[in-house]
Amino acid sequence: MHVLCAIGKQGGSEMISRIREVIGSQHDLHLLHVVDSGPRRTMQEYLFGPGQLHRTPQPERVEPLEAAEHAAAEAAMEEARQEAEHAGFRVQTDIQPEIELGKPEQIIVRAAHLWGCQLIVIRASEGSEGRPKIGPQSVGHTARFVLDHSPCDVLLLREPLIDSSQR
Amino acid sequence: MLHIIFGILIFALTLSVIMVRPYHVSEALAAAVGATLMLIGGYILPGEALQVLKGQWNIYGFFLGLMIISAVADQAGIFDILAAQTGRLAKGSALRLLLGVFLLGMIITAFLSNDATALILTPVVFAMVTRLRLPPLPFMFACTFIADTASFLLPVSNPINILFLDSFGGGLGVYLQHMLLPALFCISFNIALFLFLFRGDLRRKYKLKDLPSTEPPNRPFFRFTLFSLGVIAVAFVMASSFQIPLSLVALGGAVLLLTGGWRYGHLKWKRLRGEISWALFIFISGMFLVIRGIENLGLTKAFASVLMQLAGTNPLRSSLIVGISTALGANLINNVPMAIVATSTLRAMGVSSQAHLGLIYAAILGCDLGPNLTTVGSLATMLWLLILRRKGLEVSSVEYFKLGILVVPVMVAVGAILIGLGK
Repeated sequence: MHVLCAIGKQGGSEMISRIREVIGSQHDLHLLHVVDSGPRRTMQEYLFGPGQLHRTPQPERVEPLEAAEHAAAEAAMEEARQEAEHAGFRVQTDIQPEIELGKPEQIIVRAAHLWGCQLIVIRASEGSEGRPKIGPQSVGHTARFVLDHSPCDVLLLREPLIDSSQR
Repeated sequence: MLHIIFGILIFALTLSVIMVRPYHVSEALAAAVGATLMLIGGYILPGEALQVLKGQWNIYGFFLGLMIISAVADQAGIFDILAAQTGRLAKGSALRLLLGVFLLGMIITAFLSNDATALILTPVVFAMVTRLRLPPLPFMFACTFIADTASFLLPVSNPINILFLDSFGGGLGVYLQHMLLPALFCISFNIALFLFLFRGDLRRKYKLKDLPSTEPPNRPFFRFTLFSLGVIAVAFVMASSFQIPLSLVALGGAVLLLTGGWRYGHLKWKRLRGEISWALFIFISGMFLVIRGIENLGLTKAFASVLMQLAGTNPLRSSLIVGISTALGANLINNVPMAIVATSTLRAMGVSSQAHLGLIYAAILGCDLGPNLTTVGSLATMLWLLILRRKGLEVSSVEYFKLGILVVPVMVAVGAILIGLGK
């Protein structure tokens, strides 16, 4: 089975462990990390937008932002890839920069379609952002969109309510 | 009568173009055209215009000096190294890192002014937390908010403060007597609220190995710059105490750092030139002349009498009215023209430096804090960002506005009350 695993900034290796627990490791695993450049664009609008009295945008101030995004994406992907190879998955990796006005959730759905995946694995939310662990607010925007628009089955990983050692 | 109406129209049109920026017209051009029309219309005479501009030499020098100091410090790696050290001291805790960013922002704002924090520290911190795989927006908002919240800690912390103190005088002792408690309250409130609002994100950890290097690009130049910044900070405090024009310290500091940069062969001069916003000087000059034009028409006096009626004689009430109106005004137009309007209005109210200190400091508070309400101190900018949001861009600018609504009214109100009580 081709499985698309949507890796966030953190927790990629824990995700891989959970996937192995649920479906085993005899699958082709596509690791996808989408760089959400929305916050960086907001930063650039703040630095160079109206009200800054036409300060000349300096490449030295913009390039580190893009480089930081890519470095973080590489690190997240590398963690997940190492765990996946260790677990015995057949791994393919991809880091997708956000395309124009595209959103991570759209890119995940599009990638699943393009790669012919039978399962998308995604976390309910990107870590503890103050979201409750269950209930309507427990699923973030990206996961909600993927659930609604996915061309295949979706495995939603939640923050564990019960310590797995006590099961 | 027609003469007065045209004068008001020139003023209103200048402010409208600054707010809305049709066809991407720059604020500097709008202010320059407004000033030219005031001259042509005879609302201000050429000789008077020259006197007005000559009289503002301290603010020009201060702006120029500060921009150079910040730009050289940036090239020496001061902001990058300090941010990285903050990351090391926080030992992997996002909560401690946010506190550290607030503290660093407060110190930089206090001695290098709010622009250094808002425009230089913010992207440095943003890049660092992105590498650490932490959510960047809480840290970006921390930098941009503390840049304004801490900007009335000292006279040097915001060029706006110099505008007021040049008009009304006042040494460091008197300044701190009125502003220290409000500043400490606003900074504490800002930090506490952010720790609460972003508590979910702040439970995260990061790896120290992901931090950027603390090795400066040119170690001798870095040490020289760090030492020089310490000297400049002390000089600013002493100059404030003895009421020596701060532009002399700023320009002196700039010369010192430029000399060091040339000596160590580290400065990129083209980049330095790009960091200086020459349009800012045209903008400020234009606004000084436009507002002098309406002052000559007696409009600021009329506005002052309305304000006096609203404010009454109660010091608390008058501080609140002035603080709130300047904060709102700083959001309708940029906070620099608002500060110029406010100084002109306060002079028209017959405010003297001794009798009505509370009103002067309440106006400083409003002009300094007002920009926290929207991203860059202009409701027009907010509208522009909302339009971009509809095109699918990041909505964090709206989140900024929501944060501002929570933070700014309380800070302005409590700050103004503390100033009023301190009279």
